Amino acid sequence: MQGYHVEKRGCGIKKCLKSIIRYKGLIKYSKVIYNNYIIMIKTDRLLNKPESNKKGKKMKEIKRYSVLFTACLCLVFPGCTKKKGGAVDITSFPREKTMYLAGVQWGDPTTFNPLDQNPSFPVWFPSNLMYEHLVIHNTLTNKIDPLLARLHSQTDSVISFVLNPAARWSDNTPLTSIDVKFSYEIGKRYEDAPYGYIWDYIDSITVDTIAEGEGKAERVNFYIGKEEDNPLAILDVMIQTVIMPSHIMEAKIKECNNDFSKLLQDKMDKDPVVSGPYTLYVYSNEKVVCKRRDDYWGVAVLYQNRLPKPEFIIHPIYKSNEHASIALQKGELDFSSDYMPRIWMKAKAGVRTWYSSAPYFVPAVIPMITINCTRYPLNDKAFRRAMAFAINYKNVNELAFDGYSPDVKPGIILPFGIEKAYYAEEDVQRHGPAYNPEMAKKLLADAGYTSVLDKEGKLDYMINWKGERIPTLYIKVPTGWSDFEAMVKLVTKDLRAAGIDVREGACDESLYYQSQMVGDFDLFMDTPAGTLSPSLPWSRFQSIMSARNWRPVGERMTENFGRYNNPEEPGYNTTVDSLLRIIPALSDEAEKIQAYRALNVIFMQDQPTLPLVYRPEYFFEFSIKGWTNFPTEENPYAPPQSPCFGAGRNILWEITLKK
Amino acid sequence: MLKKYPTTRYILRSGGWYFLTFLVAISVNFVLPRLGKANPVDIIIAKHGAGKTQHAIQVKEEGYLKEFGLVKLDPDGAIVRDADGKPVRSSLWSQYVSYLGMCLRGDLGTSFMNYPKKVSEIVIEAVAWDFALQLPAIILGWLLGNILGALAAYKRGVFDYLFFPLSLLVCSIPFFAFGMLLKYQFGIVWPIFPTTGGYASNIHYSFSWEFFSNASYYYFLPFMSIFPVLLGGYAIGMRSMGIYELGTDYIRYASYLGIKENRIISYVFRNAMLPQLTGVALNLGNMIGGALIAEIIFSYPGLGTTILKAIQGQDYTLIQGTALLVAIMIIAANFTVDIVIAIFDPRVKAGMAGA
Repeated sequence: MQGYHVEKRGCGIKKCLKSIIRYKGLIKYSKVIYNNYIIMIKTDRLLNKPESNKKGKKMKEIKRYSVLFTACLCLVFPGCTKKKGGAVDITSFPREKTMYLAGVQWGDPTTFNPLDQNPSFPVWFPSNLMYEHLVIHNTLTNKIDPLLARLHSQTDSVISFVLNPAARWSDNTPLTSIDVKFSYEIGKRYEDAPYGYIWDYIDSITVDTIAEGEGKAERVNFYIGKEEDNPLAILDVMIQTVIMPSHIMEAKIKECNNDFSKLLQDKMDKDPVVSGPYTLYVYSNEKVVCKRRDDYWGVAVLYQNRLPKPEFIIHPIYKSNEHASIALQKGELDFSSDYMPRIWMKAKAGVRTWYSSAPYFVPAVIPMITINCTRYPLNDKAFRRAMAFAINYKNVNELAFDGYSPDVKPGIILPFGIEKAYYAEEDVQRHGPAYNPEMAKKLLADAGYTSVLDKEGKLDYMINWKGERIPTLYIKVPTGWSDFEAMVKLVTKDLRAAGIDVREGACDESLYYQSQMVGDFDLFMDTPAGTLSPSLPWSRFQSIMSARNWRPVGERMTENFGRYNNPEEPGYNTTVDSLLRIIPALSDEAEKIQAYRALNVIFMQDQPTLPLVYRPEYFFEFSIKGWTNFPTEENPYAPPQSPCFGAGRNILWEITLKK
Repeated sequence: MLKKYPTTRYILRSGGWYFLTFLVAISVNFVLPRLGKANPVDIIIAKHGAGKTQHAIQVKEEGYLKEFGLVKLDPDGAIVRDADGKPVRSSLWSQYVSYLGMCLRGDLGTSFMNYPKKVSEIVIEAVAWDFALQLPAIILGWLLGNILGALAAYKRGVFDYLFFPLSLLVCSIPFFAFGMLLKYQFGIVWPIFPTTGGYASNIHYSFSWEFFSNASYYYFLPFMSIFPVLLGGYAIGMRSMGIYELGTDYIRYASYLGIKENRIISYVFRNAMLPQLTGVALNLGNMIGGALIAEIIFSYPGLGTTILKAIQGQDYTLIQGTALLVAIMIIAANFTVDIVIAIFDPRVKAGMAGA
C-alpha cells in the first residue's frame, strides 16, 4: 500500500512541477527545484486556479499542500542530508528490486567491524550476507550445510573442514586457509575479540591439502582440547565466527600498532572487502541498505549460476515493534522477525507465518523464571516444586503469549523437532509437575509452610514450621518488556492463589541486567540459551544447571544464574556436572538419549527454574504483497529464519516478485 | 561602571548569571547519572557475556573500563591494580576533572551503548530532525496563536465563542492522544499520510527535490500532532492577556483621547505579548528531545528517543552530551528572551539602570 502511495505521490509532484512550468512558462527546471521562494509563489497561483475534476484531485491537493507547506521548512535544514558510506549513485530504491526486512537491527547502526562485540546488521554474527561462516547449521534438517567450507570429518579428537577452492573476496583475492586461521587466531592474539573463548575448547588449528574432485583443496583441522572435550561448543562457535579478510585486517592492525581498542574504532563502513552475496551500500539511523554483489563467488558454485532475487536489501530501523507490524500489514515491509500480537488478525492484510494456524511459529527456546537457589526458602526443593505445580501454563500461553506456544511439558527438552529424540513422555508423566494447585498446596503443607490469610481471605504472608515469617519473593522483570511482564503477572497470580507469597518485581532494564550474573534476585524472568544452535538441548541444560564455573553470590557467573547445585555444599549432586561434561563427546545415540533423560529427570525433581512457554528464537512473519514464495510448513525449502541468517539465506534465491 | 549604557550593562549582567547557571548545570549533568545503582559497563557485560569464560569477561570488562576512563591508569597506560589484581576504579573527582576538560574541548566522548560511535556524531545526526520538527511548529504556533488570540480578545462576538472553546479543547488534548488519533485517522483509516519514519524507506538522504518532497510528506502528521496544541496554548494566553489589557486604564484613556484603533491594538499587543515571550523561550529551550512522544508515535528520527535509551542504558557519556545540549538550549533561549523583553519592555531596562 505504502509503496503504491509513494509512487503515486512521486508522480503527483512531478506533474505538479511540470504544470507549474507549463503554466508560468518557466524553462529553468532547476530554479524551480532549489529556490523554494519561487515554488511557493508560482504554485500558490496554480492552486488557486479552478479545478474541474474535484474527486481524485482533492487527494493530490492535500498532498501538494502538505508538501508545499513543509518543503520550505525542510530546505532550511541541510543538516539532515548527510551522506554516509562510500560513493553512492542511487538514492532511491525501486520496489521491484528491493526486499525490506526488519527485526535484526535496533537503534542506530554503530559499526560494521566484524571484530566488534555487537556490530550492526548485516555484520552481526548469525548473518551471512556480508561476511560468511565456514558452515551453516540448517535448523530445519539439523545438518551442517556447506558455505565457505564443508564439514569433512568429525572424530573424537579432530573436526575437519574442506575449504571451497572457488571462494573469493570481493577484491578478487582468493579466500584461503590463511583467512580462516586469522579469524580464529585473532582470539588468541586479543583476548577480548569475539569468540576468543573457542581456544578453551581447541588446542590447535592445522592446514593440509587434499585432493578434491579434479583439483586440490585446503583442509582445516581443529584439534579438540583434552581438558574441555566439547565438540558441541566448537560447532556453536563455528557457525557464529565469520571469516575475515586477513590481508585487509592485518594491514589495519599494523596501522593501529597492535592496539585492539583502536582497531575497534574503525567502523569498516567504506567499501568493505567481503565474501558474501551482499555488501553494505549506504546507511543512516533510519535504515541500512545492502546491495547485491553480482560477482559473488557462490553464484556459480553454490547456486547454479542464479543470483539472489532482490538487488537491494533494506532494513528500516523502527522505534518499536508496532511500527514494524503496521509496515508489514501495509506491504511496506516484506519480512519481520519481531513479536507481533494476534498474528491471525493480520492474515487479511497478507501477513503469513510458517504454520497457517496455531502455534504459527516454530519454537526453539524456553522463557522461564530462574530461581535463586541460594536464598531461603527457594533453596528448598519442595518449595520450588510447589511453585512449578501452581502455574497454569495454558493460561500463560494463551493470555500472555497469544497462544504461540505448543503445550508446555515439564522439563527442559522440547517435545518436538530435533530435540524430540531425547524427550521421554514416561519420565515426564512420572516426575514432571503439571498444573495442579492442590498438589502445590499439599507439597507446601508437607514441607511445613503455612500461608497466612488476611481478613478478606487474601494471602498475607507465609510462615515456616518454626513460625518464622518468610520474606516476600519478587520476580525481577524489566519494565517495558511487555511479553515478559504479562507472563510474570499471570504467574504471580497463580502462585499467590496457591498460597505462595510472590510479587512482580519490575525494575529498570539496566538494573535487571546488572543483577543477573551476580545473583542479586529471588526470581528472574529470562531465556537461558536463547539462541538456536547445534548444541541444543545440551546448552540449555548447561546454562541452567552447570556448576562448572561456580562463583559465590556477588561475583559474576556466566551460566547457571540461579546458582543451582553448589559444589561446596553437602547436597552437591555430582551426576549433573558429570553428565553435562560427557554429553558433548558422546557419539552413540542411545547413550545420548539415556544421558539427556537422566538430566531431564533431575531437572524435574529439583526444579531449578520454572519454564513457562516455548518461543521461537526469532519470529517469522512475511508479507505476500511484494514478494511471494517464502518457505512455509508446506513448502519447507529453507528453515523459518530471517533471510539474513543461516540457511534462511536460501529465501533470497527462491522468492519471486508478485505480479 | 557602564552606567551610561543600561542595556549593555543589563545584558552583561544577565549573561554572567546564565554562565554561572551553565556551570552548575554541567556539574549536575555529571552527578545525576552516577547517582543510580547501575553501571554501564556491567550492563554491556551482562548483555554480551553469557556463556563466556570468566577470564574472557574480565578482559572485556577491563577493556571497557579503560576505554571509558573509569579505572586508574599508570603513566604507561596500563591499568593500576590492587593487591587482589582487581583494577582500581578512578575516583569520581578525577572523572569529573576529565569530564570538565572534555566539555571545554568540545569533546563529548564515546557512547557506551553505541560503541564506537562518538556522542557528538549521534547528537548531530539527530538534532537536525528535532529542529526541523519543532522550530517551525513553535514559531508558527506562536505567531498564529498570538494573532488569533489577539483577534479573539479584540473582536469577541461569534469568533470568540467558536474560537476560545476550540483552542481550549485542542490544547488540553495530550500530545500522545492527539498524535495517536491523527495517526489512526489519517494514516490507517484513510491512508493519506505515512505513519512511520522521517522519509520513505525506499529513498536515502540526498540533497534533492525527491528527498525533500518525500520528507515533507512524512513530516506532515508529526508536525500536525504538535502544532495545533502549541497554537491553542498560545492563543488562549494571548486572548486572556488581551482582554485584561483592553480593560486597563491606559487603553481607556487612549480611546477617550480618540487615538486611532490600530494604534490602540498595537499598544495592547505589545503589552500582552510579554508573558508570551517567556512562554516561547521555555518551548524553544525544551526543543531538544522535547518531541519524544511524536518520535515514538511516528517512529520519527530525533534526539528524544536517544536520550530515553541513554538513560535506560545508563550511558553516562550520551546522557551528559545530550543533557549538555538541553542545558545550552534552555539557557540560550532564556538569555535571548531576556534581551528581547528588555527591548520590548522599557520597565525592565529602566529597573536595571536604576539598580
